[in-house]
Amino acid sequence: MSTLVKIIVDGQDYEAEAGSLLIQLLIQEDIKIPYFCYHESLGADGNCRMCMVGIEGQKRPQIACDTLIKEGMVVNTKTDTIKQVHTDILELELINHPVDCPTCDQAGECSLQDFYMEYGLHTSKITIEEKVKHNKAVDLGANVMLDQERCVLCARCTRFTDKITGTHELGIVGRGDNAKVTTMPNRPLSNPYAMNVVDLCPVGALTSKDFRFSQRVWFLETAEGVCHGCAKGCNVYIDHNKLKYKDDTIYRFRPRRNDAINGFFICDTGRLSYKELQENRQESTLLNGVIIDTDEAIKQAKELIFLYKSNISVIIDANLYTEEIEAIVTFAKSINATIFSPLEVYEEKAFGDDMLKSSMRAANAETIKRMGINTQRPEKIGLIINFNHPQEFESDKKINFLTHSRESAELCFAIAVFSESSGSLTNEDGITQYSQKAIDKNIPIMTVIESIQRLGL
Amino acid sequence: MRESKIVSSKFHIQNAFNLHVAKEYGAYKSLEKMDIYAPQQIIQIIKDSMLRGKGGGGAPAGLKWELMPLDDKKPNFLVVNCDESEPGTFKDRQIISKDPHLLIEGIILSCYAIKAKAAYIYIRGEYKAYQNILQSAIDEAYEAGILKECDITIHRGAGAYICGEKSALLESMEGKRGHPRLKPKQKEPEWFFENPTLVNNVETIATVPFIVQNGADAYRSYGTEKSPGTLLFAMSGHIERPGVYEAEFGTNMLEYIEHYGGGVKNGKKLKAVIPGGVSCGVLTAAECEGLTLDYEALRGAGSSLGTGGMIIMDEDTDMVAALKNILEFYHEESCGQCTPCREGSGWSDTIVARILEGKGTEADLEKLFELADIMNGKTICVFAPSISQVIVSFIQKFRDEFEAVLV
Repeated sequence: MSTLVKIIVDGQDYEAEAGSLLIQLLIQEDIKIPYFCYHESLGADGNCRMCMVGIEGQKRPQIACDTLIKEGMVVNTKTDTIKQVHTDILELELINHPVDCPTCDQAGECSLQDFYMEYGLHTSKITIEEKVKHNKAVDLGANVMLDQERCVLCARCTRFTDKITGTHELGIVGRGDNAKVTTMPNRPLSNPYAMNVVDLCPVGALTSKDFRFSQRVWFLETAEGVCHGCAKGCNVYIDHNKLKYKDDTIYRFRPRRNDAINGFFICDTGRLSYKELQENRQESTLLNGVIIDTDEAIKQAKELIFLYKSNISVIIDANLYTEEIEAIVTFAKSINATIFSPLEVYEEKAFGDDMLKSSMRAANAETIKRMGINTQRPEKIGLIINFNHPQEFESDKKINFLTHSRESAELCFAIAVFSESSGSLTNEDGITQYSQKAIDKNIPIMTVIESIQRLGL
Repeated sequence: MRESKIVSSKFHIQNAFNLHVAKEYGAYKSLEKMDIYAPQQIIQIIKDSMLRGKGGGGAPAGLKWELMPLDDKKPNFLVVNCDESEPGTFKDRQIISKDPHLLIEGIILSCYAIKAKAAYIYIRGEYKAYQNILQSAIDEAYEAGILKECDITIHRGAGAYICGEKSALLESMEGKRGHPRLKPKQKEPEWFFENPTLVNNVETIATVPFIVQNGADAYRSYGTEKSPGTLLFAMSGHIERPGVYEAEFGTNMLEYIEHYGGGVKNGKKLKAVIPGGVSCGVLTAAECEGLTLDYEALRGAGSSLGTGGMIIMDEDTDMVAALKNILEFYHEESCGQCTPCREGSGWSDTIVARILEGKGTEADLEKLFELADIMNGKTICVFAPSISQVIVSFIQKFRDEFEAVLV
């Protein structure tokens, strides 16, 4: 049983669970407090000493990440003494920091920068010209680059590999101001969740080899999406930008916190899956490999459907949004077609694990099952209308609606990928979520729903 | 000056590290008391004796022993801290090289009292030669059937000063980096692989046989009311006869230096004393006047007793160079866990180096005071506060020497 107690922070009353961490309350209530090492998923480590607060009755300032809330506690975060402590410790963090923000990928989303704007902004008293030199570009493996000089040694990354993945690749070696994060010789960072250390790193020490030097983060726009890598449904931020004269492009996925599903993390496969959304896309309407006018193609499709009447199967990709699947089902029923969504092809045993990776590599397979759609392979039939299902099945004629180009297709329509439209998905645990549209292409590609509207039977 | 040999009683005997020699002089006698006393009774005797931890902190040992649960839910462990790395301190190595059986005797009694089946001796890596002597003594004790209720294992450290801090020591023993742990919220034992563990200094454990053998009152007959008993005080630096000489608490410092050390080397005048390893604030000769060697008196003088390893400095000592020497040590040894210490130890070292080169300014001195303030009381362990105490005491007491070399 948790008991709520009253505490006072900066003169304001708050209620919090007795025995919970003070820093958690400060973060929840949006009371500004600087911190590097604390992270909700990793717990307190108490090494950065930034989150000092004054607690009445205590002679010395205390770190909020190691202070348990007690009834009647009176906390000050804004007194002159505490402000001075924040400034002083921040200054110490900066002594050996290279301050190379102009070339640092973290600039714009860096805790050190943010805290400097909040607690620094003073004339530097640092009279040492020589900083401790470390390596600037260490390839840790798994797409992660380390700049040892920028590191504030908060140990979030090492604690991640110790506590979350249990793979222990990262460690800190050396003492004092010579301490640095590193891997053991011939033991590179290699686990399926390794790139999360890039998000965990509060400064620019750990950067993604995939993203570094590609964009300044303040130019990026963000949409809240759901990863389509597997049936887990991890929440992501889709960071994208439309450069002048170029098309709207996704530059990275970042994990979006959702305690019911993925917590703070996503797997590396999911994180890098944004690339597939932009590579080898089906962009125009094709007939046997030759571009034809979409209106003309629609006309031909309608004729084929009329010709094959009730000798038609509609195949649905289990990655489509629920709204799209429903539209396809309604459409299929209107033309008396049988409906299939063979799920076997999405099963990938080797991919699954007991963390965030599901062996069912279709984001909306649960909806297919719930709607009672036949998940077996279809028998040979006259006409197949395939809505982006990855498999090819035997038939006399085919109409394909594809996101990515494929060789075999006869009549092929291009449709949008999930980041170019919005909709809902139900993950394998039965949680239904909404994924926002992120990308506005210069030449829009029709969505599944638009394509059905155009078939309009 | 009263002769008071509790721990060092066999130091003058040749080959006392051999079991048969040690036994001739009464080693392992106190083990007979284990037939008379129950574990709780031994803890009570230690409590009554008011034995204070001799590793530098001076906390009452009995209170620490009392925290050990005796309910057998989890195995208890005893860890003996022999990571003696404090500059100026070299007392524990006298025990393990001259009378290792005293330590083993103390370990057996302590294990009995806290119901531990295994004891570990964490020894600093550089003490390889002393470790060999200790190991032979342990082997002898096993062979003679003395070590049967508990096992003793020597764990060799890798040479980090911070591993003398008890929680860092345990982290190191668990195979992790020697980083001090966050302080617990309530009084509780230490934890070794999540099992209740008692960590005590070598000398503390080596004092146990005397107390158990002769009773709490016998121990309390030495020393002062609040600091009872004796300590292996030591002297190094500018002294005629440097070394370890046991004395009771409350002994007059200057008399001790004169009596055992033979006074300042070459008949020079005393300038300063660092009373208990470099982490204790420096005292001027004038401050040492009339000062007694006990925890309360040194606290009163604005320093601390520490391990009792005194560093004696004569009138010709360059205090700026002395401070640089100490800060260089701290710079090298800061474990690097907390920011104030990791960066502050290096920064203060660099500033004093510049002052020593004759390039320092008044602002540098002020910055050192500021740094001392940032490092004091804002870190996990007491490493950084020690640096603060050293910096402040040196500059405050010998400011003229620092100012003389400023630009």
